[in-house]
Amino acid sequence: MNHAERLATAFVATFAVIVLAATVAGFVATDGAAPAPEIENEHFTDENLTHDRTPGEADVTMSSTQPPRTVLVDPGIETAGTVPANPLALLGLGGPDVADRDIRPLANALIENGHEVRVHTPPAGQPTAPRPGATRPAPNQNGAEGTQIPLDSELEEADAFVTFDSEYSAAEREAIESFVDGGGTVVSMTDPDEAFDQPGAAAFDSTLGVSTEPGYVYNLAENDLNYQRVYAEPAGDSALTDGVDRAVFPTATPVGAAGGEEAFRPIDGSQLSTSRTPTDAPLLVENGGVIKIGDADFLSPENAQRADNDVLIGNLADALVTSGNGGARPPVGSESTQTSSDADPTDGPDTAS
Amino acid sequence: MSSNRFDSPLTPRHQLAVVVVAAALIGAVFAPIVYANANEPSGTVAVVEIEGPVNTALADDVENELAEIRDNGSVEAVVLKIDTGGGAPVASERMYKAVQRTSEQMPVLAAVQEISASGGYYAMAPADDIYVLPTSIVGSIGLNARAPQTSPPVEGPSGPDKAGGNEIEGWARQQTLADTFINAMMAERGDRFELSREEVAHADVYLGTEAVQNGFADEIGSLTEAVHEAATRAGLESYSVDTRETGPDGGIPFLIRTDEQVFAVYSNDPGYGDVEPMGVAYVHLESVPHIDTVERFSEGSLPVDGEAGTAGTADPNTTSDTAPASGGVGA
Repeated sequence: MNHAERLATAFVATFAVIVLAATVAGFVATDGAAPAPEIENEHFTDENLTHDRTPGEADVTMSSTQPPRTVLVDPGIETAGTVPANPLALLGLGGPDVADRDIRPLANALIENGHEVRVHTPPAGQPTAPRPGATRPAPNQNGAEGTQIPLDSELEEADAFVTFDSEYSAAEREAIESFVDGGGTVVSMTDPDEAFDQPGAAAFDSTLGVSTEPGYVYNLAENDLNYQRVYAEPAGDSALTDGVDRAVFPTATPVGAAGGEEAFRPIDGSQLSTSRTPTDAPLLVENGGVIKIGDADFLSPENAQRADNDVLIGNLADALVTSGNGGARPPVGSESTQTSSDADPTDGPDTAS
Repeated sequence: MSSNRFDSPLTPRHQLAVVVVAAALIGAVFAPIVYANANEPSGTVAVVEIEGPVNTALADDVENELAEIRDNGSVEAVVLKIDTGGGAPVASERMYKAVQRTSEQMPVLAAVQEISASGGYYAMAPADDIYVLPTSIVGSIGLNARAPQTSPPVEGPSGPDKAGGNEIEGWARQQTLADTFINAMMAERGDRFELSREEVAHADVYLGTEAVQNGFADEIGSLTEAVHEAATRAGLESYSVDTRETGPDGGIPFLIRTDEQVFAVYSNDPGYGDVEPMGVAYVHLESVPHIDTVERFSEGSLPVDGEAGTAGTADPNTTSDTAPASGGVGA
């Protein structure tokens, strides 16, 4: 190897060493994000995390063979022409409402078994408090459009009365009391929010001899997809509990009745919102011809498909037509009738005891 | 004369003086560099601010900052400076995972200022320890959402769930969302909570003094104390603090709520396009200002072009008259 070759070899070797060193240094001191640590979050992949979305099915049937009866329903919907107390109601917002579809499982069971269902809307101008969110007056099936009939007159032709309202005038409460005394069945359903937006519920409860406890029932350990959608189970054996293992009450408030029979209680683990302590106070009670239910949503089409709600709704339909006087209820006492007829239609609720 | 002496006109004493002066000059040049190197902290503690409503912009910044921190050899520990009442679920989850990844690599502490609730608590839960001030507020582990409702028939969509929904399916979806949050918190801090899962699911908030007793927080301490503790855990004898601001400038979007729903507002003078309903949210409601109404309109009143813009709405509570709506603040 001559001198020139030695110089060339030295040059190439030196150049290669420098380039190789630069390459290695580049890899070692690379810029950019390093791979993120791999973390196992089993709580995100737990197969029990995803809740069952199946809506379920309902089969509401009646076992009663009673002749046709008339059931009057008061959905608590305001009359036409009045302005909703809650502006959001104009947009369909504002809380639970009782629209036609909400009572369809019960109404359809009655209709399909030959009974008559009538819907009460208060006379125009009567200051009946609307349920929040209620926007559309139900058609009055008892007369021409826009000619509502006073409640006492409608009760005279009914065997049973189902109401989602609690705001009645003194005259109306008297008519309802006479209706019960005459053998009619009254089913009163209430929601916890009534304690916040309806001032006169206590007077109506007193008329029926039942009570409603402030607060709502919830269960964080075992529920139907939400802590407020509580399960209730029979407190004993009765026609209302027949065939029902569990029912779902979506917004439940405890109810009571002096001397009445407790039909359903919330399951173990349920608590009361006002005390945050366990409660087994009943959610459905019977007191003679009065059935008080601390929930107004359990019989909607979707909720009828949950647990044994369809069986409970069928039992409720049976109870509505089993008692009463077979569509031939004697008129409400003449004195009461006279009082109701003479009552000022603008007579506000709870102005008299 | 010695043979190793320079043949110089300078005397030996002068030669020594020249050498000393030359050394002093050269030393003066290098002294600042040497001093700086000797005085440099041994590491950095990064303070990442997580403040305001939890939303996509905040999550973007927090993810980017934490990714840069993990790749930055000079950052030895992280302190999350938290002050938020929560917000969007996905943004909360993104920050949760970013914090989780970072805590695998270096000490991560959280220092709560006024509040760290709901989605904010979700984000900081993987931190090694949570520092709170005595009157800080933490907790609210749960989901805010409207009650699902079954919608009337909508003509036009390709399937029943495209622009409508079933009430029961909505409840199931919401409960899954809530349980995702609760389960994650139980996985992260279940061994520290003094409360059962059902008690945690109450979604209550706690003052700092109570939080350190029930396990929702670990220490009473300020941001400075958290930073010092983070440095100590990283083995830093001396440290510098590098504060990383996150989130959009100007404080928007911000959250408002009506009785029904939470809204994200993307402008100080919002028009219809600047108000976004939040069907579901990991948010502590009490920390969100309340207004009476938000002007809204239904999908049916939108022009055709507007309908196309809402076609992909994925609100689990979709109802035909509310969910696809947009609007402006009307109160």
